[in-house]
Amino acid sequence: MLDFGVISANFKFLIVQGLFGLGGFAGGTLRLAIPAIVLGFVLGIFIGLARLTPSRLISVLATLYVEFFRGVPLVMVIFWIWFIIPQILRLPIPEYGVALTAFVVFEAAYFGEIVRAGIQSVPRGQVEAATAVGLTRAQTMRFVVLPQAIRNMVPALVTQMIVLFKDTSLASIIGYVDLTKAAQIVNNREIKPFELYLFIAVVYFIFTYSMSRFARRFERRLTPA
Amino acid sequence: MNYQFKWSVLWSGQSGSWLLQGVITTLEISALAWVLAAALGIVSGALRTVPFRPLRAVGTFYVEFFRNVPLLVWMFFWYFGVPPLLPRAAQDWIFNHGAEFWAGMFALGVYHGARMSEVIRAGILAIPRTQFEAAVAMGLTTFQAYRLVIVPIALRLIVPPATNESLNLLKNSSVALTISVAELTFQTRQIETYTAKAVEALTAGTLIYLILCVGIAAVMARVERRFAIPGLIARGG
Amino acid sequence: MKRLLGVVVALALALAPIAPVGAEQDTLAKIKETGVLTIGTRTGSPPFAYVNKNNEWVGFSIDLVEMLVKPEVAKAVGKAIKIEKKESTPPTRIPLLTNNSVDLIAETMTDTAQRRESVDFSLTFFYTGAQFLVKKGSPVKGVNDIAGKRIASQQGSTNAKIIREKYPQAQLREFPDQPAAFQALAQGQVDAYTNDGIQLAGLKAKAPNPGDWEVVGDFYSEEPYGMAMRKGDAKFKAAVDAGLKHGFESGKYFEIYEKWFGPKGDVPYPMTPQVKTYLLKQIGK
Repeated sequence: MLDFGVISANFKFLIVQGLFGLGGFAGGTLRLAIPAIVLGFVLGIFIGLARLTPSRLISVLATLYVEFFRGVPLVMVIFWIWFIIPQILRLPIPEYGVALTAFVVFEAAYFGEIVRAGIQSVPRGQVEAATAVGLTRAQTMRFVVLPQAIRNMVPALVTQMIVLFKDTSLASIIGYVDLTKAAQIVNNREIKPFELYLFIAVVYFIFTYSMSRFARRFERRLTPA
Repeated sequence: MNYQFKWSVLWSGQSGSWLLQGVITTLEISALAWVLAAALGIVSGALRTVPFRPLRAVGTFYVEFFRNVPLLVWMFFWYFGVPPLLPRAAQDWIFNHGAEFWAGMFALGVYHGARMSEVIRAGILAIPRTQFEAAVAMGLTTFQAYRLVIVPIALRLIVPPATNESLNLLKNSSVALTISVAELTFQTRQIETYTAKAVEALTAGTLIYLILCVGIAAVMARVERRFAIPGLIARGG
Repeated sequence: MKRLLGVVVALALALAPIAPVGAEQDTLAKIKETGVLTIGTRTGSPPFAYVNKNNEWVGFSIDLVEMLVKPEVAKAVGKAIKIEKKESTPPTRIPLLTNNSVDLIAETMTDTAQRRESVDFSLTFFYTGAQFLVKKGSPVKGVNDIAGKRIASQQGSTNAKIIREKYPQAQLREFPDQPAAFQALAQGQVDAYTNDGIQLAGLKAKAPNPGDWEVVGDFYSEEPYGMAMRKGDAKFKAAVDAGLKHGFESGKYFEIYEKWFGPKGDVPYPMTPQVKTYLLKQIGK
C-alpha cells in the first residue's frame, strides 16, 4: 500500500526547489534558514546587550520587545508582517522578504534572552578585574566577557538555531515554497501523505540532528577538563 | 491605499463568539496536549535512565526524532498520513469525532512530550548525587529519599523551564489552524476574511495570546517564589 | 500587571506607523516603474491554476492573464512587462490585494456584492455554481442531503458562507486550501466537499482515479468568476477589462477555453449556450 516511488519521481522538486530554493518558485528551506539564523542572532546580540545597558529607557524597551514576542505565537507574527509590511511600503514584497523579516524579528527576542543570560553568567569579579587592569568597557566586553559568555551560551544557542530551522516550515503558510510546501504541492496531486511527510521529516531530522551532534562535540571541546 | 480602521468589527456580528470559541478550543487542545506531553515526557525520561539498552534506545529515538522535526510536518503527518493506515472502523470513529482536533492534539502532545522529556532529564541530572547519598546516610530509605529530598528539589528545578515549555505548547497550538482546527488564530483569520479588517482581527488575536501567556507566566512566577527553598536556587530578580 | 500594561503600550506603538497612509495608489504607475504585474493565483485548483506533473505553475486563469491581460497592460504602461505569480487562497486573497502584495487576483474568485465593498472585479470570465464532490455511491446527492454530514469547504469561500448560514445542520469543516479539503475527502475525513462545480470537475479529472468520484447536486449558488483588483483604480481596471473584452471579441478567449475545457483539454466541460450568451452580454453582444 505504501508507495515510495512518489519520492523518487519528485525528488528533484522536493530537494532542489524545496530545500535549496532553485527552480520556478520562490522558496527554499536553506535559503531562508541560514540568513534567518545569522541575522536573528546578530539582532539578538543587540537586544541582549540593550537589556543590560545602564540606560533605563533602552533596557525597558528591549525588555518589552522580548516579552512581547515571547508572548505571541510565531504564526501570528508571520501574519502580521505578511500584512503590514507591504501596506507600509506600498509595494509587493516577495514571500521571502516577509518570511525572513518575521523570523529575524521573532527569533531575535529568543536569541536576545540567551545572550543576556550568557553575559550574566560571567562572574562580576571578572569585569572588576578587567577594569582594574585598565581595560576600557568596550575592551572588557570584547576580550573578557563575550568570550566566556559565548562559551556558556553555545548549548542554548544551538538549541534555538534548531528551533528556528524547524520554524521555517511555517513560511509555507504564506505560500513560500520550502521543503514543507513542496511536499504539500506534490501531495495535493499524488495524495501520498504518509510517504511524503515521513520523507521530509527525515530530511529535517538529518539537518537538525547533525546540528545538535555538532553542538555536543563543540561543547565537550570547550569544557575545561 | 488608505487603511480605514474599524474596530467595531470585533464586537459586531459573530466576531465576539468566534473569538470566544477560538480561545476555548485553544485552551482545550493545549490542556489535553499538555497532559499527553507530560506523560510522554516522564515515561521517556524514565526509559532513558533504565539499565536496559534497547529501552534506552527507544526513549532516545523518540526524543531525538520527534523534537527535531517541525511541528507543522507532524500536524500534516498525523492528520493526513496516519488515519488511512488505520482499520476502517477506527477511521470512521475518528472522522466522526473531530479528527482534526485529535490529530492536532496528538501532534502537539507527542512533539512537546519529546521536548518535555529533555526538560525533565536536565532537572534530574542537575541534582547532585550527594543529595541522595546524604539522605540515605541520615537513615532515610530509598523511597523516602526520593519522596522527601529528590522529587521536591527536582520539581522546583523543573518548574521554571517546564512553564516555559508549556507556554510554547500553548503558542504552538496555533499551528493547528493548518489542519482546520478552529482555534484562536483560525478564528482571527475567519474574522479577517469575513470583514476584510486584518489589523483589527490580528490585534484582537495577539492581545488574547499575550494576556494568556503573560497571565500564566505571572501565576507560575508566584508559585515558584512561594515554594522556593531559601539558598538553594537563586532566582534572578 | 505592570508588565502587561507595558506590553499593551508597546503594541499600540508598534501599530502607530500604519495609521497615516497616503493617497490612492495608481497600479499602472507602479507597474510602469517595476515592469512587473504581480498576480495572486492558486497552486491546487485545476484547471484554473495549479502545479502540474512537471511541477510547473499553469492553468486557464493564468493563461488569460498571460495572453489577454498582459498585452493590454503592457500597452497601457508603454513597455514590456513580466508576470510574477504568488499564491493566494480564499482567506488570503483580499488582504494580499489591499496590502499591495499583489496587483490582480486571477484564480477562481467569485464576484459577489459583499466582496465588491472591498475590491473591484473585472468582467466575468467564467460562470459556474456550487455542487458537491463525493465518493461514487455516496448518499449525498445534493444540498438537501447534507444534514448531519461532514462537509468540507474552503475557509473564506462563498460556499462555506452559504452552508454556514443556510444549512447549519451540516457539520462544516473549513480548510485553508482546496487540496487539503480534497485530501480530507479522499481519505474519508469528510463525506463531501463543496465547491464550485467546475473546480470539482477539475479535481475529479486530476485525481489519481477519476472514476472513484462524482460531482453531484444542482447548483445551489451562482458563481461568476472575475479577476479582483484594488478598489477605485479605474485606469487599471480599464486595462484589465480591455484585455478580456478583446479576448471575447477576437475569439482568443474561446481558444484558451478550448485548450483547457475542450474535448482534448484537461477538464472537458463544453460551454453551454446560456453561459456564452452571459459572457458576451457583458461586452454588449
